[in-house]
Amino acid sequence: MKKRFAVLGVVAAATLALAGCTDSAAPSATTEAPAADGGGELTKVRVAALPIAETGALWAAIDEGIFEAHGLDVEVVPAQGGAQAIPALLSGDIDFAIGQPMGPIRAALQDLGVVIISNYASSIADGTDVNSVVASAASGISSPADLAGKRVSVNSIGAAGDLTIRKAVDDAGGDSSTIEFVEVAFPDVQAQLEAGNIDAGWVPDPFRGLIVGAGGTDVISPYQATIPGLTVLTNFTTQEFLDSEPETVAAYVEAMAEAQDFAMANEDLVRAAIAKNLEIPEAAANAITLPVFTSDLNGAGIPELAELAVQYEYIDAVPDLKKLVQPQV
Amino acid sequence: MTTASAIGAPARARRRGRGASAARKAGLGALGIVLFLAGWQLLAITRVLPPSSLPSATDTLATLGGMLQDLEFWRNVGRTMTAWAIGLAIATVLGVVLGGFVGLIPVLRRATHTTVEFLRPIPSVALIPLAILAFGIQLQAALVIIVFASFWQVFVQVLYGVADIDTVARDTARSYGLSGAERLRWLVLPTALPYLMTGLRLAASVALILAITAEMTIGNPGLGRVIFQAYNIGNITTVYAIVIVTGLLGLVVNLVFRFIERRALAWHQSVRGEEAL
Repeated sequence: MKKRFAVLGVVAAATLALAGCTDSAAPSATTEAPAADGGGELTKVRVAALPIAETGALWAAIDEGIFEAHGLDVEVVPAQGGAQAIPALLSGDIDFAIGQPMGPIRAALQDLGVVIISNYASSIADGTDVNSVVASAASGISSPADLAGKRVSVNSIGAAGDLTIRKAVDDAGGDSSTIEFVEVAFPDVQAQLEAGNIDAGWVPDPFRGLIVGAGGTDVISPYQATIPGLTVLTNFTTQEFLDSEPETVAAYVEAMAEAQDFAMANEDLVRAAIAKNLEIPEAAANAITLPVFTSDLNGAGIPELAELAVQYEYIDAVPDLKKLVQPQV
Repeated sequence: MTTASAIGAPARARRRGRGASAARKAGLGALGIVLFLAGWQLLAITRVLPPSSLPSATDTLATLGGMLQDLEFWRNVGRTMTAWAIGLAIATVLGVVLGGFVGLIPVLRRATHTTVEFLRPIPSVALIPLAILAFGIQLQAALVIIVFASFWQVFVQVLYGVADIDTVARDTARSYGLSGAERLRWLVLPTALPYLMTGLRLAASVALILAITAEMTIGNPGLGRVIFQAYNIGNITTVYAIVIVTGLLGLVVNLVFRFIERRALAWHQSVRGEEAL
């Protein structure tokens, strides 16, 4: 008798608990049903994107139904970084990836068949750029030349971050070979600066806003200082996918271009998408400096970046850009 | 009547005594947890460590409470535990079959010894790039990592268990003319079972560790991926809350396997000895 009451009690409690449950992953009410006009079926594509603010344009465009209108059912796969995205791309698990260009550049040097098909987001040539090197007020670093001989953090060594920082320091008259680069993830930079373990760190928003707001110094924006308007993220896929599914690639690139135009015209929707997907407060999302969402690879600075990489001995030679960069739009 | 109650009284007193000591144990355990949480809250309030690296206990527990009401959180728990269960099952089957096979044939045991000692210490997280290249960002890639590490726990234990047959028992079996199958059931299995249970318990813990690690590094859906994404945007409270959840999951897994071990080995000397009244 006691046991039966106990069981009933547990079931009742569980039902009450379930009734009070929320579901953070339930599809939002604004998602439209898949477009049934013009031939019905949507092509499923998996797109690897980092869980960062720049992906806001993609999220906003999916919510708006832009990809569905082009016949694509996009599944955004959160990637931890280029290290996961490119092997997954090569294994066929992912169809497209959005990532920084050094990954495809290195892959091209090994003939892995990675192809950049369009641009995704570029940094800003004039005004506040999307990322900066910041230092604590106590470090006494105020200009790029002061970075010589210091410990500077980047999120991933061997990519555009430390490369452009080196060039910026050399251009300002410092000696970049004396800089000690360490790898610190963006969320940890503030704590490491306060603890004195690093002298300066390269960060995007919202972390830059937090550090400068707490009294830090914005030393330099390395992208703007070396290759103004340098691409932050590009869209890439494999040569194999490009050859076997040209219509899907064309649809994706067109949809992406429309998404980018939409993002530039509807900044508030992009910020709302960022706040929702990254689970950060609206105020933080509003303070982020958004990049320029564009599909144009012409001003993206990829050849300049590759040459800079050769100059600083990050790579042995500039890859075959005709095979690496094949703009589809 | 008087004799019955006289016999009953000491037994009842013993039972009451045992009940009281169990209650006291539970009370002390609860006190330990409360003291730990109080210490944590104190550390956070006095800012010994900055709040960006150590959120307060109250904030973390509040976030945890909110997460417990979120269905997506429970789905993630389900995904992690599914990867754990499948990985553990595959590792156990492979470990028992291969361990038993190699253990029963001395030639094979000697021949594979060096290879096993070379492969065993390879940290399975080093295989992550290979796993992604083979399977992409999917559950299968995580299973490769989980199975590789858990397999060795079971394999080595079964290997030693199967080889540990008591010589007197073996000779007795031979003199009674037991067949191969009978020897397996009555000689090998009872000897190897305690070892297998140990291996299973260790493999269960290892599998949970790697299920979460794989989700953090490969990115297949689950609790590990939530930790990584929360960390990426600086949401440390969520990170700590999920760390607490993983600790509780590990505790539950350990308790379940200890229970299974006690039941499966109820006949064994080590278990019976403890429970003798």
